[in-house]
Amino acid sequence: MHRKLATAALIAATLFLSGGVGLAHHSVAANFDGSKALDVTGKVKEVAIRNPHSQITLEVTKPDGSVSEFFVEWSDKNALLRRTVPVSKIRVGDKVTINVSPSKRLPNLGYFRTATLPDGTVLKDCGFVAFRESVAKGTKITC
Amino acid sequence: MRWMKLTRLTRQSAMVAVLLIANSILAHAMAGKRTDLNGVWILLGSKTENLKLTPAGEKARAAYDYQKDDPDMRCIPASFTRIMHTPSPPIEVRQRQDSVEINYEFMDVRRRVPLKKGLAVKDAPYAVREHPNMGRSVGQYDGETLVIETAGQSPGVLDTLGVPGLYQSDQMRTVERYVPNGDMMQVTITHYDPVYFLQPLIVTYNYLRLPGGKILKWDCKPEEATYERFLPK
Repeated sequence: MHRKLATAALIAATLFLSGGVGLAHHSVAANFDGSKALDVTGKVKEVAIRNPHSQITLEVTKPDGSVSEFFVEWSDKNALLRRTVPVSKIRVGDKVTINVSPSKRLPNLGYFRTATLPDGTVLKDCGFVAFRESVAKGTKITC
Repeated sequence: MRWMKLTRLTRQSAMVAVLLIANSILAHAMAGKRTDLNGVWILLGSKTENLKLTPAGEKARAAYDYQKDDPDMRCIPASFTRIMHTPSPPIEVRQRQDSVEINYEFMDVRRRVPLKKGLAVKDAPYAVREHPNMGRSVGQYDGETLVIETAGQSPGVLDTLGVPGLYQSDQMRTVERYVPNGDMMQVTITHYDPVYFLQPLIVTYNYLRLPGGKILKWDCKPEEATYERFLPK
């Protein structure tokens, strides 16, 4: 117990000194506006859970009836596995709403925040910071 | 004005005191701590210091375009410095009698560092057989601290993440120090490169032990890593 508390104290001091790494990833920090959130509703065309980044492709129907593709960038496969994110709940063919941080450069691209599935369930990814904290505390990851 | 300076000084002193107390608590609580480096580690944070570029370094950094110049987007590991800046994939250290293995999940990099006394870096085998661009390494222990010297890296991009757009020349030499502290590990890499740095660049990483952790396959494919996959075809 003492050891876990001590580790948690040192981690807090370490993060204070080093600034952490939360959004430091090149294609996350450089490409996406983490201060904004955008809902994108569409039919899931493809779910590619892979390294270095996962990708969900949505087919979005525009008001004029035309269909365009929207790409949702996400964490690497191994990280999603470690964080026990139930990625298999996002199924090809389902209509979902994915909340993203929009790309700073491309209009058809965003970074995953949450996904609302056909039954209304909201799929969350607690993220790397929560994972790190759960390891330090020796607890299950929650968000 | 003087009052404000004093207040700032007092605040900084208080923060230092808090950190010293936290360290002291840790030292007591971790009596009997592990002093080995063996295990799988996840990154807590990193810090880059002493960044003073030569004119060549400034020019290279100004011209750097991550969408075209980042070797990671072609699944090529740029450097150990870059690999260790990646937040989520862990690293594994395995201490052997005559060598140390460092396995980086990012890009499936498997590094072997001989601990042969008297072995010059230039005579050491490539540290990563599949990636000779990463140079040659030799290691030794300074107490419980593992010290690794590396040279012979190919010229090119050094970092795309901590400080994007740093370059390295074939004259670069690095010294890494791995310091165990129970379930924490601190790694400091000092970069000596007269072509790009006016003074040694120091990057410090703090790691946390991942109990029961395993290094998974990364299996990077260039067509899935490139930024171009988002662009209209």
